[in-house]
Amino acid sequence: MLSEMIKEEFIQLELEVTDWEEAIRKSAEPLLIGGKITSEYIEKIIETTQKIGPYIVITKNVALPHAPTQYGALDLAMGITTLKTPVKSGNKTNDPVKYLFCMSAKDSETHLESMAELVNLLSDQTFYHVLDTAKKPMDILDYIIESE
Amino acid sequence: MHKALVACRAGVGSSLMLKIKTEQVIKENGFPIQVEHSSLDAVSGFDGDLLITLADVAKELESQNLKQTIIGINNIVDKIEIENKLSEFLNR
Repeated sequence: MLSEMIKEEFIQLELEVTDWEEAIRKSAEPLLIGGKITSEYIEKIIETTQKIGPYIVITKNVALPHAPTQYGALDLAMGITTLKTPVKSGNKTNDPVKYLFCMSAKDSETHLESMAELVNLLSDQTFYHVLDTAKKPMDILDYIIESE
Repeated sequence: MHKALVACRAGVGSSLMLKIKTEQVIKENGFPIQVEHSSLDAVSGFDGDLLITLADVAKELESQNLKQTIIGINNIVDKIEIENKLSEFLNR
């Protein structure tokens, strides 16, 4: 289940960042502190984005920062970060990015169900309302648990 | 039946979500397409005729002269976009 990948301390609300790279770094920070990824993982996301573009921007206002497993993904986890001021990533269709779901996975199969839940949430307008109005991280996690 | 590979950089995140959404669209429309997913590393060994990926990655793949048709999706939760692009492929 998606809620099992997310911990309260992985959720950050209304962060201030100056640019796209800082947004990626900040979104990954709780997973780094929590021992779910190594710093190599964050560098790989940034390096890939610089090389081929904002491949992690997947729908309107949403980025899913992640990299291949072998570059320091230690454990299955997902963080949620909302930005106070959205940033441009260079993705014409989906900019600006306001929500970042930084994720780490050790393989491509075990979290299939969680990814299906996330796809559904990202198609759900109420979820964006919850992201925008949450006063504390648990408000978001509670909504995710309720929707499972 | 067409064979499609949904691929992204890592094969663990966006490609997985794109595969889930693509399969929903295929099922709803009864499209004759079978889908698997992986990272870009598997593209060279893939023997099907369709590659589905995110728009940025599609641009990169298009420069590689692959034999498969490449579809780039901008918005992975937009079923209409996926449906339109798959229909276009099937009606070629």
